[in-house]
Amino acid sequence: MAHQVTSKDIPINGEHLEKGKIATLQMICGGIGGIGLLASLIYLRTGSGEIHGSYAFSWLFAVFFITTIVLGGCFWTFLHNLSNSGWGTSVRRLMENLGFVFPFLIVFYIPFLFPDVQQYLWEWMTAFKKATDAHPDMGSSEALMHSSNAHDHLLAAKTFYLNPGFWLLRFAFYFIGLGFFMWLVRKFSIAQDTDDKPGTKNLFAARKHSSWSMIIFGVTLTFLALDFVMALDYSWFSTMFGVYVFAGSALNSMAVLILTGIFLQKMGYLKNVVTQEHYHIMGKLCFAFTVFWAYVSFSQFFLIWYANITEETRYFLLRNTENWNLLSLTLVFMHFGLPFLALLRSDVKKSSKFMTIFCFYILFMHVLDVYHMIIPERGPSVGLVIDDHPQLWISGSWLGDILALVIAVCAFLFIYLRNLTSAALYPHRDPRILESANLHN
Amino acid sequence: MSTKVRRVYGYLAEFKNASQLYKAAEKVRDAGFKKWDCYTPYPVHGLDDAMGVKRSVLPYFVFFGGLTGFLTAIALAYTTQVGLYPTVVQGKPANIFTTAAFFPVMFELTILFSGFTVLFGLLALIGLPRWNHPIFASKQFKRVTDDKFFIAIEARDAKFSAESTKSLLAEIGGDNIELVEDDSE
Repeated sequence: MAHQVTSKDIPINGEHLEKGKIATLQMICGGIGGIGLLASLIYLRTGSGEIHGSYAFSWLFAVFFITTIVLGGCFWTFLHNLSNSGWGTSVRRLMENLGFVFPFLIVFYIPFLFPDVQQYLWEWMTAFKKATDAHPDMGSSEALMHSSNAHDHLLAAKTFYLNPGFWLLRFAFYFIGLGFFMWLVRKFSIAQDTDDKPGTKNLFAARKHSSWSMIIFGVTLTFLALDFVMALDYSWFSTMFGVYVFAGSALNSMAVLILTGIFLQKMGYLKNVVTQEHYHIMGKLCFAFTVFWAYVSFSQFFLIWYANITEETRYFLLRNTENWNLLSLTLVFMHFGLPFLALLRSDVKKSSKFMTIFCFYILFMHVLDVYHMIIPERGPSVGLVIDDHPQLWISGSWLGDILALVIAVCAFLFIYLRNLTSAALYPHRDPRILESANLHN
Repeated sequence: MSTKVRRVYGYLAEFKNASQLYKAAEKVRDAGFKKWDCYTPYPVHGLDDAMGVKRSVLPYFVFFGGLTGFLTAIALAYTTQVGLYPTVVQGKPANIFTTAAFFPVMFELTILFSGFTVLFGLLALIGLPRWNHPIFASKQFKRVTDDKFFIAIEARDAKFSAESTKSLLAEIGGDNIELVEDDSE
């Protein structure tokens, strides 16, 4: 059995990530992310034409990818506090740092407030505006019923939810609500690091506030996914979509946490408190959420496929057309099949070498998953707006996707690294840090 | 005085607490014994490491059990729904692309077969069910469900000997060392 970790092994002021060690990485990420973000903002504000519309989708894809990972960080933090679990105390700060990227993400979301961007992404906004402009004397729902477009009648029934005012309110709620509680819960955790009399006060406060935070998290993730992704096609119905996004989000944020842990240990941190037992548990959670993702995404497909109702099938009809079908099948075998078999054995989950490869792999699959959610809507939507001619694929648009993804990932890394350096790497005065360090499962 | 010959089951030694037992188990392991076991009133973490217990082969049985279930389900669904009696429901073609409809069956049978393999594989590996166990002949062993910890080294073990095993148990801190004899006929 490994050496028993005692309080002598825990530095009295905690371990801090030295800024010098990651300065180069942070500078590169900050440079690419910052310039890219600024350039994207300006371009999305001022641009026009097909490339502009195409890039609006690229931006949504990249930003939503990052959002799912960050929301997963919020989820694990709240869950860890709520479930009163001892195993993860030594990696809890990583979860908090990942979740705390969320308030900063508001910058990424600014372009979605530009009407020029909205017209490509969300047709319901255009339809809504057209109808209310044409019939200024009527209520929005009634105005849409008077529209000549049959699909607008469907929107009329949804105006209680899909209207610009409420949309803006929800937008603000997501970032203020969850952003605030994520900040608060992390603040309790950090306050404990410098507490003169470290007891359970901060721990219990964090647990208490995690309760309603978890509800706010659930609401935020579900409706953020609905507002920004599902609403790309307002005529579509699916009750599984929020859960589907959540499954991918929990899985991939765990992958990011494992990678962070492995890299920090390579740099010489967390040596005393994180062992292969932690990677084993985190690997098990990855395995569980691999299965859960498959379960939920299949449920969504299966019910729609069986029921065969026009309003529902459109989503999968589009995604099973021509090359999109290849992507759908890739997800089945490579996002579920392969990881399922790869993660079955316990010794591979304990191997940091294997988990590094696996985590990068599953993150790449998640990129494809988010791509599969968002990008198939691009050709039809942008084509419709530009020349009233929907198409399946805009040639060359993948360049914008890669560009947007690189920018978003770099900007995300910059903020994440900033969070990591801003506090101790693990809660060294948490009453259960030794329990966690000596974890055995 | 009875002259009936009784089979020796092995030596049983009592330990006061979990940490004593843990340390003793490490020593018995290092002495090279194979057929021996620890008995405790509650699960002791890390004891399997201290005993040098290898990982069970059960997971492999379960994997192939699950695989069998999965293949059974495919065969069942395909032969009945595509081969023998194709039914067209909601305009869905009855061919291999109807796989989506078979998924629940595949899932359920995979789980069912895995579950059965776990249960019956486990019972087979640990040798249950059985009527009796020789160690129940010991009176003091009853306290294992209360407050005492025991190590029993079986006579079947190649390293077992009447004297040295007894002295080993005494050396590593065992009390009330008892030679347990099989009292079944």
